[in-house]
Amino acid sequence: MEPAEAEFLAEKELVTIVPNFSLDRIHLIGGDLGPFNPGLPVEVPVWLAINLKQRQKCRLIPPEWMDVAKLEEIRDQERKEDTFTPMPSPYYMELTKLLLNYASDNIPKADEIRTLVKDTWDTRIAKLRLSADSFVKQQEAHAKLDNLTLMEINTIGTFLTQALDHMYKLRSNLQPSESARSQDF
Amino acid sequence: NEKFAPELLESKPEIIECVVEQLDHMEANLKRAKKGDLKVSVHHMEIERIRYVLSSYLRCRLVKIEKFFPHVLEKEKSRAEGEPSILSPEEFAFAKEYMANTETYLKNAALKHMPPNLQKVSLLKSVPKPNLDSFVFLRVLERQENILVEPETDEQREYTIDLEEGSQHLIRYKTIAPLVASGAVQLI
Repeated sequence: MEPAEAEFLAEKELVTIVPNFSLDRIHLIGGDLGPFNPGLPVEVPVWLAINLKQRQKCRLIPPEWMDVAKLEEIRDQERKEDTFTPMPSPYYMELTKLLLNYASDNIPKADEIRTLVKDTWDTRIAKLRLSADSFVKQQEAHAKLDNLTLMEINTIGTFLTQALDHMYKLRSNLQPSESARSQDF
Repeated sequence: NEKFAPELLESKPEIIECVVEQLDHMEANLKRAKKGDLKVSVHHMEIERIRYVLSSYLRCRLVKIEKFFPHVLEKEKSRAEGEPSILSPEEFAFAKEYMANTETYLKNAALKHMPPNLQKVSLLKSVPKPNLDSFVFLRVLERQENILVEPETDEQREYTIDLEEGSQHLIRYKTIAPLVASGAVQLI
């Protein structure tokens, strides 16, 4: 899966905005979006929020986990633990990128937040690399990976699955069996 | 699920029809009501998103059909009466045409010029089968117990695991294929 596709899925998450226009309830195929009144916060999916912000029709409110103290806590927790800690949102990476790109003026201390999220990401990817390495070395058949977000799995996923497939093919060709495929013409 | 599964999954005509119907309905509404710029553009954006997901799904299926066409047709021919189909009627027609075209092409390009007793080629044997042993990532939607994990090497022994709801795993496709079909797990 491409990172762009992971971002597409992340855009379905809900985020709070404060519109500066008014519109009554709209009935989308995916569900209803509440009446919009200027000055009153309302929840919309990220794809709509970004679009409205670009047209200068609203102000974005950062999710409650996107705050320096909270992110520092998460980063330190991640560094302490050997396994993966639960992340505040399964799409934290994509949401950070989208919100900081399009609405950094609505988010206090945007640069610090960017650095903190990047640090957490680097720690998690390093842990992931180590564990993938040991998975392949010990030729495990199964791994449990809770608390990993889609973006992280994608980053390493295609490479890992293809490498494992190759190794399986090499291993099964070592043992000649009657089901060995060979082309007879 | 379709994107990450190594084989072609069951065709879901009801869902596809429902989505297409909703899209057409919404588009007709938009054409009629040309007022309120904002509402129209929001609906339009949503239509585009849904259309993207739908076409990406269908494209994925077509790629798999083209890649494994003899095996897909064979499976469809040999499936029992009550079992759900893996191809929609349009996909079935496409697959048959593709097969006929490939056969004609091979015959005209090469086989015609070979000695008569070598003029047949078994597409079933020459086109690679989908690799059901490939590893996939999955998320568990319904709790499952005692899933057998087969050993990789000769020194290991097989063991069973339980799949907790909401957890994520990396495992061979073959073991969990029935769970994907029943909707108990989701491939990620």
